[in-house]
Amino acid sequence: MAYSVNISVEAPIENQIQEITYDGQEIYQSPLSMSESLAKLAQKIDFSKASTEDIIKETGEQDKTDDDSTTKEAATFQSSLWPWDSVRNKLRNALTEVCVLADVLAIAKEKRYIVLDQVPQEALETKPMVQVYARKKALAGAAAVLLAGAERLRASQNELARNRTTPDFHIELLRLRQNWRLKKVSNSIIGDLSYRTAGSKYAQTGMFEVTKAEEECQTTGSPPPSPGAGAGVVPPKSSSALRVTVPSELQGVAYIEVLCQKDQEDLCSATINLLGSGPTSTNPDVHWQQKLEAAQNVLFCKELFNQLAKEAVQLQAPIPHMVVGNQIMATVLPGIQLIIGLCHSTGTDKKPNLTPPQKSEHDHVLEHSLHQLLREVHHKNTHHPFPHPSSGPLGPSKKRCLAGPMAADRYELLEMTKSQTLLEQIIQQAQHFFMRLRTEYVLDTIAKEVKDPLIVSHWNALNSPTQSCVKINIMTHGYDSVYRTPLVVHVGEKALKCVCRDGRVMHMSYEPQELRDLVFCQIYQHQITAVQGLAKCMGWQYLANSTHLGLGAVEPLGNASSCILASPIGDRIIAVRCEPQTGVQVAIAQSPRKDFFPGQLVKERKWENLGGSFKEVRWDKMEGKNFLNKMELLMSSLTSSQ
Amino acid sequence: MSQPVITAMDSLTAALKSNIIPNQEYLLQGSVLDSAVEVLLHRLRGLCDNVDSGPETFHDHEMCFSIRGANLQPLLLRVRRALDYQDMPWQLRYIGQPEIGDKSRPTIVRSSIDIGTSSTVVEFLTELGCRMDFEYIVRGYMFRKGRMKITVSKIFKVGQVGQGKPAESMEPMSQSYLVELSVLAPSGQDAIAEDMRSFAEQLRPLVQLEKIDYKRLQHIP
Repeated sequence: MAYSVNISVEAPIENQIQEITYDGQEIYQSPLSMSESLAKLAQKIDFSKASTEDIIKETGEQDKTDDDSTTKEAATFQSSLWPWDSVRNKLRNALTEVCVLADVLAIAKEKRYIVLDQVPQEALETKPMVQVYARKKALAGAAAVLLAGAERLRASQNELARNRTTPDFHIELLRLRQNWRLKKVSNSIIGDLSYRTAGSKYAQTGMFEVTKAEEECQTTGSPPPSPGAGAGVVPPKSSSALRVTVPSELQGVAYIEVLCQKDQEDLCSATINLLGSGPTSTNPDVHWQQKLEAAQNVLFCKELFNQLAKEAVQLQAPIPHMVVGNQIMATVLPGIQLIIGLCHSTGTDKKPNLTPPQKSEHDHVLEHSLHQLLREVHHKNTHHPFPHPSSGPLGPSKKRCLAGPMAADRYELLEMTKSQTLLEQIIQQAQHFFMRLRTEYVLDTIAKEVKDPLIVSHWNALNSPTQSCVKINIMTHGYDSVYRTPLVVHVGEKALKCVCRDGRVMHMSYEPQELRDLVFCQIYQHQITAVQGLAKCMGWQYLANSTHLGLGAVEPLGNASSCILASPIGDRIIAVRCEPQTGVQVAIAQSPRKDFFPGQLVKERKWENLGGSFKEVRWDKMEGKNFLNKMELLMSSLTSSQ
Repeated sequence: MSQPVITAMDSLTAALKSNIIPNQEYLLQGSVLDSAVEVLLHRLRGLCDNVDSGPETFHDHEMCFSIRGANLQPLLLRVRRALDYQDMPWQLRYIGQPEIGDKSRPTIVRSSIDIGTSSTVVEFLTELGCRMDFEYIVRGYMFRKGRMKITVSKIFKVGQVGQGKPAESMEPMSQSYLVELSVLAPSGQDAIAEDMRSFAEQLRPLVQLEKIDYKRLQHIP
């Protein structure tokens, strides 16, 4: 159904404003006169279209007369000259179109006869290559910007790095982390330099803090150094980007000083020479690695000294140990003392320390031994033996495990629990050191004094801190294949054990004189047995010998020994007597005796064969390089061929 | 001097009362396949004590005996010896039933008493009337962390007697390794179970160490 619409067409009433005068008056454009408006309208006529409009108009007219819903436009002028005709036609067409559209929409809304469906649209031709090129160009532009920025940053960084001698803080921190344990606690970085993870049970913590070093305020801002100290000596500028702060009690350098010295008349003189002999390098510019290592060493020395001091107080020794301040004094052997001191120099004391002359030098070997002993304690704390079989409990040592099945008694179990303290061990090592020194001295002295049999001593290359071994050969020069006397001396801590040629074992104490006496006795016994060996070579018979002769004067040292030899044909006899104090005496006898005269009691001639009396040989006038050589010459001169 | 004589029984009862004898075992178990064991060993090596010395190996032979008394429950005893350390004593072990405790306990807790013996223990047990139920050979690695002991081991069947070298006649029971985390402690020290659990957490993606309920395992045909 169509609705009738009233349309009114009006011309605008208002005339156009031509001009506005300065006083606000508006001058209207005069409206067009008739002829003028006609001309204007006539210009609007398109004569080429006017005829077709007529034909459409005619057919439209016919349709419209059949239809009641045509417009109420009464004007049926067919004149194309009517100026409103085209307007009217256009309006009518518009109305038609709009009516048709309304009808179509109404029908489509019902969806019974017409349905509105989407027309498949052709996809836009995208031209991907174009897009790619466009994006590429855009990215290239962005990349260029970024690269330029990066280049600039790199250049500035290189410039900075070249100019600056100190490395980056983070690189330094990485290096620090490779060597030391660090952790971050809220804002600060804390490290640990103690031996706790290595098995130490010392209470003192070794925490240090790592901070960034201040920039550039050392050289210019610091006050000038005092004129006395190091004028002209520029401290080496080894600054780094980070600074470590170690606790004040661990600053500086420390070491354990070990002195072995003879008894001092006044004990207080031993206390002076400890401080001040340490190095005073506490230059604040020292590299953090050295600083941390020094602090760790200080902690280690403190723990060691603490342990030794505790033991010194607790142990019951025959001569009690003394702990005074930073020193421990222990008696090693009668007359010899071991002094262990903790030298800790922080370098802050300004007074010059005169180092008084020390009577004995610091013993580096014993200091090293002390360090090793403490490290062993640490090691034992962490490395407990594993159980075998594996289902056993962790902890008991092999001895403990065997104690059950092997029925160990209470004494054995108690013995298992006892262990030697550090102080006892170091005292033992010091004792052995002295024993070895004394034994060497004794043997060297004897070797220098006694040239006739040569004393050759071979010390074992392998030994322990508490036991050494020396093999002594007594032999005569030129006759070493004839006979040599071997001796083995085991040097312990406080005693010596000597195994002689004949298998006898002699235990000696720490007095050096005992060893000396033993060696001298052995020398003279060697002479006698060597003579016997020589006699065998020469063809002489050995008649008798005695190693402990009961004849003659009592010897102050040892016993005299003697032997009697007979020539091959039996006409000469040599008697030799050796003793450590007076040396050698040789006498010869002849058989048959030359001075036989038959007397009242002894009548027959045959008794001359019994042999004459012994006549002593002037041994010092005898030819020969040494005793055996002389004996050899004597024997050869007395040997007659008949 | 009229001191009373202290007998061994007195000392023993005093020790038992003061709770110093480790007679409880806290245990967590798991397993890894052969292909994954290297990674686990590497990890354990880093986590456990004494990194510098390598893992300790062990090679043990275990025999399980049982004796039936008047009651129906047989008494189970285990005898274990170390094949690689012939001079160490043999071990006789009694393991009790795990405590049927609350689920909140992180580990299995069971009583465990072990005694060192000489090699004549097998004869002794046989004379008592025990019969050997089964035996096996275990070979693996041991680690420790503090009081905790971690073993990674492979179980082998014992070969037939008289068949040449026993090493050749061993065949593995499975293609996997058994991982055990255990602590022997006196009773009442339950805090160690928490430490064990946190350590097991550190091994978590490689091996799952957990409580194993043996009763449920027994019902599987």
